[in-house]
Amino acid sequence: MRYIDPHIHCVSRTTDDYLYMSRCGVVAVSEPAFWAGFDRSTASSFADYFRHLTDVEPKRAAKYGIDHYCWLCINAKEAENVSLSRDVIKLIPPLLDHPRVLGVGEIGLNKNTRNEITVFEEQVEIAARYDQLILIHTPHLEDKHKGTSIITSILKNDKRIKPERVLIDHCEEHTIRAARDNGFWAGLTIYPVTKVTPQRGADILEQFGPQMICVNSASDWGESGPSNLTDTCLEYLRRGHAEQEATEIFHNNPCRFFGQNPKWKVKPVG
Amino acid sequence: MRDAQQTLEQYFLEMRWRCLSLAADLDRIERSPGGPGVLSTDPRLAKLRQAINVLLEGKGPNRAEQVQTIFSDKTPPPEGATKRRSDEATKG
Repeated sequence: MRYIDPHIHCVSRTTDDYLYMSRCGVVAVSEPAFWAGFDRSTASSFADYFRHLTDVEPKRAAKYGIDHYCWLCINAKEAENVSLSRDVIKLIPPLLDHPRVLGVGEIGLNKNTRNEITVFEEQVEIAARYDQLILIHTPHLEDKHKGTSIITSILKNDKRIKPERVLIDHCEEHTIRAARDNGFWAGLTIYPVTKVTPQRGADILEQFGPQMICVNSASDWGESGPSNLTDTCLEYLRRGHAEQEATEIFHNNPCRFFGQNPKWKVKPVG
Repeated sequence: MRDAQQTLEQYFLEMRWRCLSLAADLDRIERSPGGPGVLSTDPRLAKLRQAINVLLEGKGPNRAEQVQTIFSDKTPPPEGATKRRSDEATKG
């Protein structure tokens, strides 16, 4: 089996995780920009973070035979500070041509506040202006349904945004329709306690069909890990699905979404 | 695809374990100082009871979605949250 983890925060993972992914057959990863676990004080912190994502982490991944790509943005949690966010947003356009940058992400909402919405809209504007792919973060827990609804409304109302160039991530049972029925890609995040379990992930794949779904681990500095991705594939296979069906989901679907950007080099396999 | 009996065989022990775990969680809260009061008044536990009711009496096959809805914020979005982009986008 070849896997792609379409959403993983490698900067906060150990090299043991790279080793694990390499042994399991993970051939490529994509790493969205996110919250570091604390609010950064200046835009220069983000400039260093973007260098980490574009230059440092791809080299680290390459040692394990893993192709590393990334996304740039200011995340929803720090977007509450609109002034800082605008300074960070100015850093993004000059980096969009970097060969490792796939687009703008993970942008979205956290607590569904007015400030978050303002910064989200300004980053959608950047994506539209520079014709970038978009990776969307949807809120957690009780805020997810409302936040997903706001996000999809904003995107649908902007005629410049092509839904097939947007992936709405962290979808669950009550939000996946809002993504897929509107033509967006959907992401399933397999993450302990707060998101989807491997069993529920396999349920969603069976109930809604595997088209335009990317499964990811979103491994970060919390209790999480790349084995959640492979465990979900094992669960899917254990239910009697063929390996080629699993390959379509866990390898080829990410290739199809990311492949809309010519910088992405990994091709679907038969 | 496995039939219902085979599916139940595969998952029953996990289902039993999750049910026991929830029972033990509620016992732990009740044993703690102030436990009975929290059990009867905390709005999160009220939602939990509502969710358990979906398992007991609700009809599938979307019980998971019904439970997600119980735990979702249903207040309206901030005023004008999706209007501005719409107005701007229709210009171009």
